[in-house]
Amino acid sequence: METMLEVKGLNKSFKDKQVLKNISFEVNKGEIMAILGPNGAGKSTTIRNIMGIMYPDEGTVTFHNHQGKGIPQNKIGYLPEERGLYKNVKVMDILLYLADLKSYPLDKAKKRILDYLKKFDLEGKENVKMEELSKGMGQKVQFIGAVIHEPELLILDEPFSGLDPVSQEIFKDEIRSLRDNGTAILLSSHQMNLVEEMCDRLFMIQRGEKVIYGSLYDVKQEYANFKCTIRGSNERGTLETIPEVENIEQDGDVAILYLTKDVNPNRWLKQLPDDVTIQELAIDRVSLHEIFIDIATDKRLMSEEGEIHA
Amino acid sequence: MRNAMKVAKWEIKRNMKNKTFLIGLFLTPLLIVGFGLIGSWIGGSSDDGSYEDEMTVFINDEIGIIDELTQYASESGLEWSIEETNVEIGDVAAELDGAEDTAYIFLNEAALNEGVVPVYIAEDVDPFFSSQLAMFQGPILAHQMEALGLTEEQSLAVSRGIQFAEMDAEEMTNDEALEDEASGEDFLAGIVPAAFGGIIFISILFTGMAMFQSASQEKKDKIAEIILSSVTPEELMQGKIIGYFVLGLVQAAVLLVFLVPMILFLTDVPLFEYLFVTETLLFVLLAVLNYLMFAAIFVGIGATIEDVTTSGNFQGIVMMLPFLPFIFIGPVVGDPSGLMAQIGTYIPFTAPGVLLLRLTMLDVWPWLEISISLVIIIVSVLVFIRLAGKIFKVGILMYGKNATPGEIWKWLKA
Repeated sequence: METMLEVKGLNKSFKDKQVLKNISFEVNKGEIMAILGPNGAGKSTTIRNIMGIMYPDEGTVTFHNHQGKGIPQNKIGYLPEERGLYKNVKVMDILLYLADLKSYPLDKAKKRILDYLKKFDLEGKENVKMEELSKGMGQKVQFIGAVIHEPELLILDEPFSGLDPVSQEIFKDEIRSLRDNGTAILLSSHQMNLVEEMCDRLFMIQRGEKVIYGSLYDVKQEYANFKCTIRGSNERGTLETIPEVENIEQDGDVAILYLTKDVNPNRWLKQLPDDVTIQELAIDRVSLHEIFIDIATDKRLMSEEGEIHA
Repeated sequence: MRNAMKVAKWEIKRNMKNKTFLIGLFLTPLLIVGFGLIGSWIGGSSDDGSYEDEMTVFINDEIGIIDELTQYASESGLEWSIEETNVEIGDVAAELDGAEDTAYIFLNEAALNEGVVPVYIAEDVDPFFSSQLAMFQGPILAHQMEALGLTEEQSLAVSRGIQFAEMDAEEMTNDEALEDEASGEDFLAGIVPAAFGGIIFISILFTGMAMFQSASQEKKDKIAEIILSSVTPEELMQGKIIGYFVLGLVQAAVLLVFLVPMILFLTDVPLFEYLFVTETLLFVLLAVLNYLMFAAIFVGIGATIEDVTTSGNFQGIVMMLPFLPFIFIGPVVGDPSGLMAQIGTYIPFTAPGVLLLRLTMLDVWPWLEISISLVIIIVSVLVFIRLAGKIFKVGILMYGKNATPGEIWKWLKA
């Protein structure tokens, strides 16, 4: 796969506090790469260092496909986390300005703007002023602004924050279709469920440090153990007799058993003791969301992984 | 630079489509022209004096010059009705009782000999009356000398008296110019280029202040980061400075479109003849430099303020800097070559304004001072643009709070 962006050994400190510690990853053409982490983990700082809005103390950011110094701004689309647009100007004017800043031909931009407005359910809004749009509509216009010039690399910082579910779906579809057309996409988010659905690879960051880096499949294989949710009134002592269980969370009638890494679910189910009361039973993998919470709160529900995170 | 021009173009376009800006654009000249017309209307009628009632001057003339005095008064434009009277000094009190705008003058041999002419005036008489009366000194003296048998030349020599005039040694070279009768026209010729420079000065200064608003708003609306993904902070700042400069020129142009016809209509000043002189160039240069200096300061400070209502004193003080030259207006008008005027010429914030004012008033330009001042201004402009760039770069991306002076100082040192 063709690498578009390579980040190598980023270090950054604010005053005495080191906010990025040796961050390295790559973003390839035609994939969605997600940076995940709790608030304040260093996601936006990493992105700002890539965009040249901040400069790292150490480390390099390389844009492949780009000769010469600096950042190929015209080939990058960027949707910052802190975003807004001029209030008292028309949608078309502001989008054309953004396209012009990227040196994208204006006649082509105009056509694309109209297409996108239609796609995003904003048809006929091109001559409406930004201040008359709802917040969600404004977000859509900002998104159009980020992709209007057909960027090769698209960087989206928390693209779903503040969006209603319908708009989230529209954004997800559009991001996927951009990926399928070969755009390299770097996406940061703390909304795990959305990311789990769409990302190809992920980079999890906590307190400025890498926690997990790899493809979604590998990460799930490696970190997302099976867990078994049992509904039924059981004594904790009874549950503790079940083998290959690392941790038990019990809340009234519902107990969640976190299984060991190498467990074989078929065999494990067969040897469940007879005295366990089961009204409902579900077995599935720990979700990205739970891995994330686990890391963010340092709860170390999955004890083995906890050691890796620490 | 190409990106800076794009930003500039956008700022111009955005403002030209903005109702608030357009209203301001046309309201400013309308106000100025409006006040001008009202002023000339009031000024025109005030020629008659605010004490519009006609003054009646009774003269008990025993020496026979009442005709000369009447003629003299009307030539001087005084609206006095001069009448001869036989009222004696003893009866004046009764005559004046309840009278308004009335005066009694007693001209007789005794008065001439003593050199004191008794004048009795009613209450409520124009306070300027006694000074206007002094004008009668001339004809009365002339009459006296004629009576003494002096020739016309002799009487002229005596009546001229001796005066002490203070001369400025530095302006000695200009004495010839002073002797020109046409000094009134000279004054206008000096004022017109300066006024032209002044209009540009004020216009672009005000749009420069609008730039503060623009930078602060951009920070508040969180636009900056989107824009900065396409241009560098320096380009964004330059673009803003250029853009608002053009907007200022537009404001000046609109102002002149209203003002020039008014001046041509109200006066017979040969405006264009006075305008197209080299002095105008210097005044315009001063206006531009002044703009650049304050534009840099405003764009830098604007980037540190997200919410004007909670901004600290520091920013408030900086916002007042462009008005600093006003402190110097009094002293400079009083003495355009004085110490205060010179100090003002060498302080970066006041130099352009004070220089503009001084050059309007001085007949001979102190080229050495002008050169030093220009160097100070140009160096300050370069320094301020550089410092503003540093502040702008960090400040515009600091969301959610205003920067403290401490933080700004840290960015400057970085």
